[in-house]
Amino acid sequence: MGCASALQMAEGGMKSIVLDQGDLGQGASGVNAGTLSLQIKRVKLMPYAIRGHQEWESMGDAVGFRKTGGYTLAFTDHEAELLHERMSLKAEAGAPIEFVSNSALREAEPNLADQVVAASYCAEDGYANSSLTGQFYRARLKQQGVQYREGFKLLGVEAGNDGYVIRSANTTVSARKLLFSAGAWLKSLTALMGVELPVQARVNTVSVTERLPMLTRSVIGHATGLLTMKQKANGTLLIGGGWQGRGTPEQGRGQVDTDSLRSNLALARHALPAAENARILRSWTGFEAHVPDFYPLAGKLPGYEDVFVLGCVRGGYTIGPYIGKLMGDYILERTTELPLFNPGRSFPEVVV
Amino acid sequence: MFQLAPNHQDDIVRTAKIRFTFDGESFLAHEGETLAAALMRAKLLHIRDAPGDESPRGVFCCMGLCQECVVQVDGKTIESCRLSVSPDLHVTSLRRQLDT
Repeated sequence: MGCASALQMAEGGMKSIVLDQGDLGQGASGVNAGTLSLQIKRVKLMPYAIRGHQEWESMGDAVGFRKTGGYTLAFTDHEAELLHERMSLKAEAGAPIEFVSNSALREAEPNLADQVVAASYCAEDGYANSSLTGQFYRARLKQQGVQYREGFKLLGVEAGNDGYVIRSANTTVSARKLLFSAGAWLKSLTALMGVELPVQARVNTVSVTERLPMLTRSVIGHATGLLTMKQKANGTLLIGGGWQGRGTPEQGRGQVDTDSLRSNLALARHALPAAENARILRSWTGFEAHVPDFYPLAGKLPGYEDVFVLGCVRGGYTIGPYIGKLMGDYILERTTELPLFNPGRSFPEVVV
Repeated sequence: MFQLAPNHQDDIVRTAKIRFTFDGESFLAHEGETLAAALMRAKLLHIRDAPGDESPRGVFCCMGLCQECVVQVDGKTIESCRLSVSPDLHVTSLRRQLDT
């Protein structure tokens, strides 16, 4: 998201520099399952998600974009009810989601479980390869002449003569305006500015199997939102769904939790019995940041006129390139195409 | 310039030779070496078939990543480059055996 903002600022004639504590695109942008599905987006964020899809589509092969269409499955009457309720609202919000008959589903995806009670379909759904995010944006930054520093461990921010001085162990960078766009690490960064934001991190698990014969062509989800599954061109299945691992952003990368992973895989097997004996080659986790109302932080840092925050976007991989552009426009003091989300709003009490 | 190192081949002490079977056929290996190494020395290069187009596959990365050398032992699928040869090892290949 930060890279998308920097590119937009450059397009508007503003000189910018991207400072990343690791390598570009190696946070949530680089470790998520790459699912681009309107069926798992929040209703209020649908206009952003639809435009996000357009952004990914325009990036094309360079990010491994594939528009495969996606099915969301319900295995019980209760799940079917949930599916109808959720998908109807998303369709009203503009996502081209339809309900499909069992025979249509069977024809398109013959290897899916027999026990499907109801299914929805969205032709816009697909995926990109999240491990290409970083190299894509690095190339775009170079092309646009935007500076970037990787491995920049920020130690402090001080008010300078004309803006701010950002300090790392061996260098300083001066800037008139700052944008904090650091996902799950936003909390500690904004704390440096004396602002406590109620940022929390989920520890989502993703797994990849060995290569298998082609079993499915679409992105497969579950009515509860607890499964995403897609088979890549090389035959591997990528399985996600937001099952929780352990750890915090402050401690490092997070760890896979075996029990959680087992449930994740059981649901995947249930949906695609033909993959029952597939071996899991790797599982990993990534941090997905959110605030208590699950809407983005995108606007001015409370108490500052020239410090901005961008993050905690539910469905952030899909929406990131678009909301990043909006943020760039906002910092350029242009009118944004869609409204942003004031980080200074009041949040509901967090129940622990 | 280049200097030829003396040939230490005769000084190398190998572990005992033992037998293992690969699809029912018996082969010799040194106890404790990887199955991948033993298979290569036995000139068994076709270990499995690709899950997609079923073209032949063999040992490739030798470090447990690529999955091209997987075989079955006691019903479990395992990378032959991560399996040490031991007495009474019976290996079944995954050549033309995928039924899904």
